[in-house]
Amino acid sequence: MDILMNGISLVLNVETLLVILLASLFGIFVGAVPGLTATMAVALLVPLTFYMDTIPAIAAIVTTSAMAIFAGDIPGTYLNIPGTPASAAYVGESHALAKKGRAREALGINLVCSVFGGIFGTIILIVVAQSLAEVALQFSAFEYFWLAVLGLSCSIFISVGSRVKAFLSLLFGILLSTVGLDMMSGAPRFTFGVPDLMAGINFIPVMIGMFALNELMSYYGSRSEKKNINVIDNDSVFHKVPSHIKRYWRNMVRGSSIGTLIGALPGAGADIAAWISYGVGKGRSKEKEKYGTGNIEGVMDASSANNSGISGAWVPALVFGIPGDSITAIVIGVLYMKGMNPGPTIFMDGSGLIYALFIVFILANLMMLPIGYIAIRLSKLFILTPSRILMPVILCFCVVGAFAINNSIVDVWLMLIVGLVAYLLAVNDFPMAPAILGLVLGSVVENNFMSAMLRTGGDLTSFFARPISAGLGIAVILLWCSPLLIKAWRQRPRHSAA
Amino acid sequence: MRDFVTGLAFVIAGVATIITAQQFPTLPSLQYGPSLFPSIVGAGFCIGGAVLAANALWNRKRAVVQQGVVEVTTLGEPTSGRAGLAMLLPPVAILFYIFASDYIGAMLTMTVIMFVLMILRKTVPWVALVASLLVALAIYFIFSRYLLVPLPQGVLIEGRLPWIF
Repeated sequence: MDILMNGISLVLNVETLLVILLASLFGIFVGAVPGLTATMAVALLVPLTFYMDTIPAIAAIVTTSAMAIFAGDIPGTYLNIPGTPASAAYVGESHALAKKGRAREALGINLVCSVFGGIFGTIILIVVAQSLAEVALQFSAFEYFWLAVLGLSCSIFISVGSRVKAFLSLLFGILLSTVGLDMMSGAPRFTFGVPDLMAGINFIPVMIGMFALNELMSYYGSRSEKKNINVIDNDSVFHKVPSHIKRYWRNMVRGSSIGTLIGALPGAGADIAAWISYGVGKGRSKEKEKYGTGNIEGVMDASSANNSGISGAWVPALVFGIPGDSITAIVIGVLYMKGMNPGPTIFMDGSGLIYALFIVFILANLMMLPIGYIAIRLSKLFILTPSRILMPVILCFCVVGAFAINNSIVDVWLMLIVGLVAYLLAVNDFPMAPAILGLVLGSVVENNFMSAMLRTGGDLTSFFARPISAGLGIAVILLWCSPLLIKAWRQRPRHSAA
Repeated sequence: MRDFVTGLAFVIAGVATIITAQQFPTLPSLQYGPSLFPSIVGAGFCIGGAVLAANALWNRKRAVVQQGVVEVTTLGEPTSGRAGLAMLLPPVAILFYIFASDYIGAMLTMTVIMFVLMILRKTVPWVALVASLLVALAIYFIFSRYLLVPLPQGVLIEGRLPWIF
């Protein structure tokens, strides 16, 4: 009970509450401006969180990401341009509703579903994470090695698009993680004589380069944009919400469950959760023909899923230190910067930190209701924010933010180089999430492999000697063989028929 | 065709990674030295790059067989030259910051970058000037005064703007 009270007092103070409020406004703004993603919002926020205490820092990230994912629906509804990739799955539905004069109704249901999804994911996080942490306490280098490999493999097999490209993107991230002094021998690797690189690549400048600079380059590479809203929105925000919930509550629960599960898988974030949930919802709907013409049902499935995915991604991040998506990858970096090692021990310390984190989650999601309502009423203000003024400002934030982490101009160079590579990869349809996962998990894989080998004298069979380790190893091998297995399964009936 | 070039680039990067990794020192007491993981990554680059390039060639060949002609437009999206160059504006602005901020200070450099970028996207000049000045001042104040980040003050104008700093 004392720990719970400690946790409450960590959140309910002026500083943290103020941070939550400011982060909400920031998140709504970034989410509602097309072209700025939730991950970008968090990456830009990190240099500031560097100077905060742990709980306000995490509160800022949690609140910003949740708000941005919701606010991504606003330009989606009005302009048919998703504000963040997580809204892309159902942007057609919500825009079709807006054209029928039901823009606010669509956004109202989006908001309620987002809040429901976020809280649903948080409850799963609270229930599952605690019990998983007790299992994780028994893990050693062997299990962590396999877990990290499993995470990396998931990021390839769950990604949308070419698996070869996801694989190469992942390797790019792993290569970045090998820069610096080698853990075992102390030999410098890929440092090219630059002393700042000895300690390894600082991944905040990499994040800013990958997610912010890359977006800025795409913006300047595109033609100048003209945003015209020709949607009438005189309807009520919450008026029809109760009747929709009464009719489609199953969709909310199903979307939230799928979202939490997909979010918890490494490499798959809110965007993939929304796509899959939308697909499942469409497949099971009784009114399939209404999909694509502005169906509130599809909106409910997917908009519950993307917010629950955000919460779900925290389960593996907190319990195993393995991020569920790009945002939790940043969070893990922030936790390390604060001297906290994400992993099962985070649940055992007596400071109430974990309770504070849970309270922040619930608070951030509840705050979404009033702030989201105001944002819906002020939609046009956000959407018409001129990008030509905003983008140069973001560029300056990128430069100063990258510099501020170590007060070193080398980090600005790093951001620039990574941003250029990321842009080249992105225009060729390479996904970015595997690269970030590779950067975070690359050293986890290598360090655990090396320490396991040191312990067993280089015996590779030891990775299958312990039951959990063997189980995880087999899971990884099955995952790698899954494309072949699925192919074989699909061809089987044809053979029997012949 | 783009994929073919990208695939080849990855193969070259893979070979370079492997060659660099072979120069890392090894310890006799360790079975697996510091070169192991970079070498695996290098090999992965080679294999993945080769598969990507081969797939691109295969698809092209199939397209030729099916249609009899190769469309030139597969080379890439039809972007105009100016738009292609405009995408370089952010990196150029960052390079300008890296080299200029030591001389004219972070605040002035940021003002110049923002003003030029806004003007290039056809912002009204006085709006651009006021916005870039105010934002640069705000960023400088937040990071330099509140977060105590030692942003460069600039050797050329150091101490000449006492009313601001």
